[in-house]
Amino acid sequence: MSEVVFRKAEKRDIPSLVDLNIRLKRLNEEFDPLLRVRSDIADKSKQYFETAMSSPNSLVVVAEDGGRVVGFIKADIRERTFYEPRMEGNIVEFYLLPEYRRKGVGANLLEYAVKLLKEKAEIITAEFPSLNEIAVEFYTRQGYRGIVSIYARES
Amino acid sequence: MYFVSEVERFGKVAVKAAPYYGGKLEIVPKIPVRSLEDFAVWYTPGVAAVCKAIAADKELSFDYTWRWNTIAVVTNGTRVLGLGNIGPEASLPVMEGKALIFKFLGGVDAFPLCLNITDRNKFVEVVKTLEPGLGGINLEDIASPDCFYILDRLRQEMSIPVWHDDQLGTAGATLAGLYNSLKITGRKLSKTSIVLFGAGAANIATARLLEKAGANMSKMILVDTKGILHAEREDMDELMLKNPWKYELALKTNKAKISGGLPEALEGADVLIAASVPGPGVIKKEWIGKMVENPVVFLLANPVPEMWPWEAKEAGAAVVATGRSDFPNQVNNSLVFPSVFRGALDVRARTISDTMILRAAQALAEFIPEEKLTAEHIIPTMEEWEVYVYVAAAVAEQAVAENLARRPLSYDEEFVRARKVIERSRKVLMSLMERRLIKPLPQVDQP
Repeated sequence: MSEVVFRKAEKRDIPSLVDLNIRLKRLNEEFDPLLRVRSDIADKSKQYFETAMSSPNSLVVVAEDGGRVVGFIKADIRERTFYEPRMEGNIVEFYLLPEYRRKGVGANLLEYAVKLLKEKAEIITAEFPSLNEIAVEFYTRQGYRGIVSIYARES
Repeated sequence: MYFVSEVERFGKVAVKAAPYYGGKLEIVPKIPVRSLEDFAVWYTPGVAAVCKAIAADKELSFDYTWRWNTIAVVTNGTRVLGLGNIGPEASLPVMEGKALIFKFLGGVDAFPLCLNITDRNKFVEVVKTLEPGLGGINLEDIASPDCFYILDRLRQEMSIPVWHDDQLGTAGATLAGLYNSLKITGRKLSKTSIVLFGAGAANIATARLLEKAGANMSKMILVDTKGILHAEREDMDELMLKNPWKYELALKTNKAKISGGLPEALEGADVLIAASVPGPGVIKKEWIGKMVENPVVFLLANPVPEMWPWEAKEAGAAVVATGRSDFPNQVNNSLVFPSVFRGALDVRARTISDTMILRAAQALAEFIPEEKLTAEHIIPTMEEWEVYVYVAAAVAEQAVAENLARRPLSYDEEFVRARKVIERSRKVLMSLMERRLIKPLPQVDQP
């Protein structure tokens, strides 16, 4: 593994982003049957990243190793209608290939994304499946705590 | 060779003998009982003095009771032989058989415990409570991947040896065979590229032990039902959650990230260790042909190896081993577990470390003197009963060196002791047979 670098995503990254996003959603599926992956996930992912990259209110950053995209974060800037601070940077996707985990790459990628989000947002939040204990542990270690819960009923 | 008809014949004898003898084991006293008055010594009131001594020093339980030589063979019956999840009751005949081998080959008193527990955490908690009365635990026939979790936790949390033969015994025997195969073919373990076909309990444990032995993990390739394992395979996240042991190996092995199946994995490999599904025909001759010159091929599936050994030879294999006694080079757990426990129990080891297993594998390999080492004889057979004494002494010495022994013994002391204990166990059985207290095997009608 050479030096991993972080940068904003570009159009040419979309095929890699789609692949990593599918891995992320399949991982989510492992945690909860209510997160069953759609059959058209590849197409949806492609549109998703195209939209995000052309929106001023979204951020997609990648971790790159030797020219290869090995991880990414996608976040949205949104206004909190009723609360202070008003502007929120909401991390909605975060994936890193297995080989790059437990080496500090994830924490550094998060730090990079947070730095960019802070240009527009005052508070940073992150979303992930409730049963993903690895994410709970990761964000807790980075100083985050739960503020909202989303509950679902099977029927 | 065991033909199908022969397997059937063994089955017929076993089914007739099982009710005839009412199982395979019983508990026989080893102290004199001259009259009922002796019970006042062996039982109350005399026994209270022994109890008080142990209460004052719990380590004395190893001297004053059968604890020094007694282990439990514990299962939940979730993966019995090749029969699958047949439940704890149906697993009992296997556990009795295991205990018999422990006693006959290692002089170890082992008794079966079939637990009605499938929850792995509950299983761990129950087994942990058994520690005060036992010298060791042999886990048996527990499904993968729970068996990894259970073994790892119990090895860490108990202060007596815990062993799972499907993992450690197989890995130890495989490594012993591999040491001699490499010697014969002039290879060094650190420079050898090894392909493991099948990623169940046996091969995962073998990979982990090979790492401890100094194998080159970057060059190692594991192949399972989904093909070659590598760090970017699609199911990696699923493995991370469901089989972290395989996940760890995926991160460490196959740094070249070769993908595909067994044929691709074998391209240019030195060694194949197959522990997958019964053959023949699972591995093709032309795949062996893709390996380097003079490859080493272990075909460990039972009851029929992944391909016939002669096919592997015809395809160029220099050394071939299987799991069967009717072919040369049987990689056999029974060469390992009786003596490992003999040595570990005699020094009252707190655990059986991986390095103790490595030492056992070395001792097993070195038992064959150089002049007798051939491609057809890389591993001793069960008939060479002296091998158990050598391995026990090596294991005991290693435990002492690692400061794991409650009662240190030298190599020579354990050598003498192991021989005595194992010999006694055989003599007792022989004399019971001679005196017809154990009846001869019942006749079964020949087909």
